[in-house]
Amino acid sequence: MKNSIFTLFLAATLTACPALAADHSGHGKPGAETSTAPPIDREKLWKESLAKPSFAVTASFDENGKLWLAAIRGQHVFVSYSTDHGVTRSAPVKVNTEPENILGDGENRPKIIVRKGVVYVSYTQGLAKPMTGHIRFSRSLDGGKTFSQPITVNDNLEIISHRFDAMGVNDRGQVFVAWLDKRDLSVAAKKGEKYAGLGLYYAVSDDKGKSFKANIKAADHACECCRVAMAIDTDGYPVIVWRHVFDTNIRDHALLKLDGKMAPVRLSYENWNVAGCPHHGPSLSIASDGIYHAAWFSNAPQQRGLFYGHSTDWGGTFSSPMNFGNIEAQPSRPSVFSLGSRVFLVWKEFDGERTGIIGMHSGDAGKSWSAPGKLATTSDVSDWPFLIGKNNRAYLSWNTKNEGYRLIEIGEEKK
Amino acid sequence: MKQLGLLVLLCLTALSFAPTSTLAAQEIKPFVRGSYQQIISARQGKPFIISFWSLSCGHCMDEMAMLKKLAKKYSKLDLVLVSTDTPEEKKAVTAALARSSPRKTETWLFADSYTDPLYFEIDTKWHGELPRTYFFNAKNEVTAISGKLEYEEVERWVREQYTPR
Repeated sequence: MKNSIFTLFLAATLTACPALAADHSGHGKPGAETSTAPPIDREKLWKESLAKPSFAVTASFDENGKLWLAAIRGQHVFVSYSTDHGVTRSAPVKVNTEPENILGDGENRPKIIVRKGVVYVSYTQGLAKPMTGHIRFSRSLDGGKTFSQPITVNDNLEIISHRFDAMGVNDRGQVFVAWLDKRDLSVAAKKGEKYAGLGLYYAVSDDKGKSFKANIKAADHACECCRVAMAIDTDGYPVIVWRHVFDTNIRDHALLKLDGKMAPVRLSYENWNVAGCPHHGPSLSIASDGIYHAAWFSNAPQQRGLFYGHSTDWGGTFSSPMNFGNIEAQPSRPSVFSLGSRVFLVWKEFDGERTGIIGMHSGDAGKSWSAPGKLATTSDVSDWPFLIGKNNRAYLSWNTKNEGYRLIEIGEEKK
Repeated sequence: MKQLGLLVLLCLTALSFAPTSTLAAQEIKPFVRGSYQQIISARQGKPFIISFWSLSCGHCMDEMAMLKKLAKKYSKLDLVLVSTDTPEEKKAVTAALARSSPRKTETWLFADSYTDPLYFEIDTKWHGELPRTYFFNAKNEVTAISGKLEYEEVERWVREQYTPR
């Protein structure tokens, strides 16, 4: 029995994955469907399913310490701000005045960044077919009172997946949006060719988001459904980290600086061989000293759970990954954040009774770490945890069904 | 799978409500706390496969088509399909099952929006990646595999399990 399953596992993992080039836009493989089933309006069903409630709340501080929040209600992204750490909030303002299906489950969520008085928002609009979307962008030049008509950033407009947007803004007013894109898969499928995973694309705005230049391909063969992490480097260029499909089906992480010079490099080597959808993307923070801090998840049989690593050579090499979190408590959704040489990690665990957010911190650029400590708990549905910062302090940003939105300062006891 | 023992009480309670036939007509059952153990307890001493899937997982639809083909050939195969989607998506899940799943399959849909306890009960080594397939042999020994499986390999397992020795 054990032998046969071992063989099964080996074979399953070593076998090429023809399906990768097939059904990812909900079309199905020829012959996979029965002709006897009654006709079903899949698009209608899909639209109905998009109406499920979203607990995604994304928050960020502007330079003045004002907290900005983006959330989804109905078919709109709403933006509000708070000057008292989220206790009271301004009346939410609609970003998209026309209703759209906004993706806000799992790895999908709106993004919000506020710099030099401009509010930047990106999000993914769900389209009529399962697993499809467009990357949307809007900005406010009047302090969040009104927002520009959202524009579609992806310049390929097929009803395919352009989803999992990541956004960054630098001090020059350049806006970078990166996302996962199936246009190359679509081309390959039409030719009857295989294409592992999907493409990773990005677009740049040099005018504070008024317009975006032509889309640029960052990489071929990214994994299909894990969020992309983006952080701005000290020179103003963004760095992205994503789950990549190496070889046939090794789904480890890769890194690329979007400066037009670098080629993608491999960041992690868990060798997770899986023809599947982890729905579990990485996190990245770049410190003021230029050190890259990354956190990610893997479920490779020999290297399971959450990992952290840092790079002092702009992503060329990373420190030996630190495995963290209580593996018996299903650690998940890591977020990493740095303030100079202080580095913070938060993640989710479930102890059998309650969902908790656990945190730990480093005072020496990620070389040594405090013991993990519980920061907050809940006993119902909750969003992913995120770290944000202001005035040299780090905060956990977390939305839960029972308790609502919470912003919790991360304490740093002396070791 | 260690925590299964802890759930004995839960399953005993759940069992009293469990349907006697495991191959009832296709009606999606609500998957809540205790459901996983209920599925297992109803099959003591018999081989079976539990496959977790979702509408948002392209690989899952490929795997379901493969399992359908397999179930057609091996009528004895006891297959349980559990969708990790939400009750709001029940119509879409039903449609996908009607289109792609084998006819005589027990089907479930996550019915508790608080999914953390569900995943924990199923397997602490599982982090929600899909498809996720559990192979139970007649001794109730289980092997879990993440990712889409190939027909030939699952067929080999089915032949081993359902061939009298």
